[in-house]
Amino acid sequence: MDPIYLDHAATTPLHPEVRAAMEPYLDAAFGNASSRHRWGRTARAGLDSARAEVAELLGARPSEIVFVRGGTESDNLALLGAWHAARAAGRAPAVAVSAVEHSAVIDAARHLAASAGATVESLGVDPDGSLDLARLAAVEGSEVIASVMWVNNETGLRLPVEEVVETVARRGGLVHTDAAQAVGKVPVSVADLPVDLLSATGHKINGPKGTGILFVRQGTPLHPLLHGGGQERALRPGTEDVAGAVGFATALRLAVEAREERAARWSAWRAELEASLLARLPCARENAGEGVRAPHAASLALPVRDGAALLMALDLEGIAASGGSACHSGADAASHVIAALYGADDDRATVRLSFGAGTTAAEVRRAGDVLVDLVGRLAEAA
Amino acid sequence: MSRVLVAMSGGVYSSVAAALLVDEGHDVVGVTMKTFCYSGTPSHGKTCCGLDGITDARRVADALGIPHYVFDVEEDFTRDVIDDFVAEYARGRTPNPCVRCNSNTKFRDLLARGRLLGCDRIATGHYVRILDGRLARGVDASKDQSYFLWGLPASMLSRLLFPVGALTKAEVRARAHALELVTASKPESQEICFVPTGDYRDLLRSRLDDVHPALEPGEIVLADGTAVGRHDGFAGFPVGQRRGLGGGFAEPMYVLEIDPEMRRVVVGPREELLRDVVTVREVNWLGDPPAPGSRVQAQLRYRATAVDGVIRPVEDGLELRLDEPVAAVTPGQSAVLFDGDVVLGGGRIEGSVPAAAEARA
Repeated sequence: MDPIYLDHAATTPLHPEVRAAMEPYLDAAFGNASSRHRWGRTARAGLDSARAEVAELLGARPSEIVFVRGGTESDNLALLGAWHAARAAGRAPAVAVSAVEHSAVIDAARHLAASAGATVESLGVDPDGSLDLARLAAVEGSEVIASVMWVNNETGLRLPVEEVVETVARRGGLVHTDAAQAVGKVPVSVADLPVDLLSATGHKINGPKGTGILFVRQGTPLHPLLHGGGQERALRPGTEDVAGAVGFATALRLAVEAREERAARWSAWRAELEASLLARLPCARENAGEGVRAPHAASLALPVRDGAALLMALDLEGIAASGGSACHSGADAASHVIAALYGADDDRATVRLSFGAGTTAAEVRRAGDVLVDLVGRLAEAA
Repeated sequence: MSRVLVAMSGGVYSSVAAALLVDEGHDVVGVTMKTFCYSGTPSHGKTCCGLDGITDARRVADALGIPHYVFDVEEDFTRDVIDDFVAEYARGRTPNPCVRCNSNTKFRDLLARGRLLGCDRIATGHYVRILDGRLARGVDASKDQSYFLWGLPASMLSRLLFPVGALTKAEVRARAHALELVTASKPESQEICFVPTGDYRDLLRSRLDDVHPALEPGEIVLADGTAVGRHDGFAGFPVGQRRGLGGGFAEPMYVLEIDPEMRRVVVGPREELLRDVVTVREVNWLGDPPAPGSRVQAQLRYRATAVDGVIRPVEDGLELRLDEPVAAVTPGQSAVLFDGDVVLGGGRIEGSVPAAAEARA
C-alpha cells in the first residue's frame, strides 16, 4: 500500500512549475539583484516581476510587499517591527493576539512583554470562530497592535479579521494577520480587507521552504529586525533570494488560480470524511465544526488518550497526519489551540488530516478507514 | 516476523541492538525516551539520554531504515525518578535512579506504548541476557548491567529482548563500526541522565526552593558522637567515602553513615565500615521466590563482585547474611541476588550491621 500524505497544512511538495520558474535564478541568472551590471539587472528583473505578481494576487501595491525568509520571520517582523517603530516615536502600544495564534505570533508577543514591558492581551476564541472583540475594544491605552490569524493552522477555523479591523479602526492601532493557512485556501485580498500587515509563507502552497512575504500597507511604520545593506526597503536586509521570491510568486499564482476548484473538492471530501468518522466513532468531535472553516483541513477529537501513539500508529500504517501543529518536535505538548477552544481538561487526542493539490478521494477514504481501525485497536490495548 | 519496539538511547549498545534485530528480519520500530529537558543548560557533552542522544538515535534509525519516534516521559520520569532521587538524598541515602527508572518508568511505558503500536516485544541495549525465560548477566561479566534490572515486574520478562548481551564489548563495537553507525565510537555514558553537570548536588539545589538539609553544613562525628570536624552538606558524603573528611586522624577515616536528623556525617576507620548483615526492602523476585535460608550471591553495588550469603524473610523485606563482611554497604543502593548468572531478584538496601555488633546486642 502506497503511503498517504495528509499533512499539507504542515508543508507541501514543491510544484514542478515552481521549480521550473526558480531554476534560471539558480543557474545563469545567479546575479546579485543589487548589482548594476547585467547579471544584477537580470536578477533584479526577476525580483521585480515576482513582487509585482504577488502584489497583484493579494490586491496590494508592489512597494507594499517585503520578501522575507518564511512565515515565522514575517510574523516576528510584523509584531516586533510595529511595536518598536511605535516605541521609537515615544509610544508603547498594547499588543492583543488571539488565543489560537501560531506560536510565532504568541511567542513574539511574549517576547515584547518580557523584553520591553509591553502589555499583552490574549483574546479568547469560541469553537464557532467568534473572538472576544469586547476585550480588544477595551484594551487600555490609545493604541493597540492586534494580531489575529486569517485561518487557524490546527483547525482551519476562519477568524473574524474583518471585525478586528473595524474594532481597531474605532479605537486606534494596527492590525496584523497571519495568512499562512489562508492564501490558496480562501480568497485573500488586502484591498477587500484592509489589514495593515499580512504574513504568508511559500511552503504551505507548494512553494519553496524559507520563503515568505510581509505585506506592509503604505504608511505603516515598521522597524527591521535585522540591520545591513538596505535591501527590501531596509526592512529585510541581506542579499535578495531571487529564486525564492520567484518561487513564492509562482506558487502563489498557481494556488490562487486553482483555489476554487480545489476548495470544492476538499470541502466535499472533508464533509464525507467527518460524517463517516462521526458515524463510526460516536465519541469523536469535529473541532471547530460549528465555525466557518477553510476547506483543506479536518481536525478531529478522537476517543483516545494517547494522541502521540495514535500518530505513530498512523505513520506505521503509512498515513501522515499530525496532532495539532507540526512545530513542536520531540515533546508531546498539548495543543494550546484545542485548549483555547474547548478547555484545558479535554484529554481526547486531536488528529489533523490536511489535503493538498495531489490528494485523491480514495486516499481520504482509506485514511478514514485506517483511523477507525486504529482507534479501536488503541482502545483495546489501553 | 513480529514487530519489535527497540528503545534507542543514542548510545552504541542500543544502536547495535536495533541493528541486530533488523538483521534477524524483525519489523523494528525505534523509540527514544525523552526523560528530561536540558533547556537552559548549554552544551555539556553528554553521551546519552539528552537531546543529542535523540539526534544520534534518529540518525542510526535512519541508517537502518526503520522508523524512529520520541516518547515524552518527562512528567512520569520527574515524578517517579527525580523526585525520589531528591527525597532519598534528603534522607541521607545514596539512591540509584537507573534502577528506579527501569523498575517504574521505562519498561512500563515501553510496553504500554508498544502495545498501541502493535509491538509484541520490547528490546533495549542493556547488557544482559534472557536465559530460559530468566534474566541473566551478559556474557562479559565486567560489563554486566543486570544490577539495574532487578526491579522489573517478572511478568514482563517473556516480552523482553536484550540482543547485545550475548556479544562481548569488543564485538558490539566491531558490529557498530562494520555498520558505520554514527554512534560506533561514542564513549559509554557513566553519568546520570538528568544530571547534566555531573554533580548531583547541582540538581538537588535546582530542585529545591528552600534550604535542603542535605546541603546544609553540619558536624562530622565519630561513632561515639565525638565531633571531629564540619561538613558542607551530607549529600556530598556517600558511605565509604574518604575524601573531604579533613586530616589529622591516626588512620584513614571513612564515612560510615549519615544521620539526617542531626545533619551529621558519622566517620570511622575501615574496620568499622565492614558489615555482614544487610536488611533489604522493596523486594522484587524475577521468578519464584527462593526458600528461606537459600544460599545466594549478592551484588551490593554496580560493578562490585557478588558475595555469598543466605537470605531470610523478615517483616517488610528480607535479611541477607553474608559469609564474609564487605565494606561500604550503602543505604539506597540495590542488593541484587543471583544464582550463578541468573538474577533471582533484588531490593533496596535499608541498612546493615556488623554481625559482631548484633551478637553483642
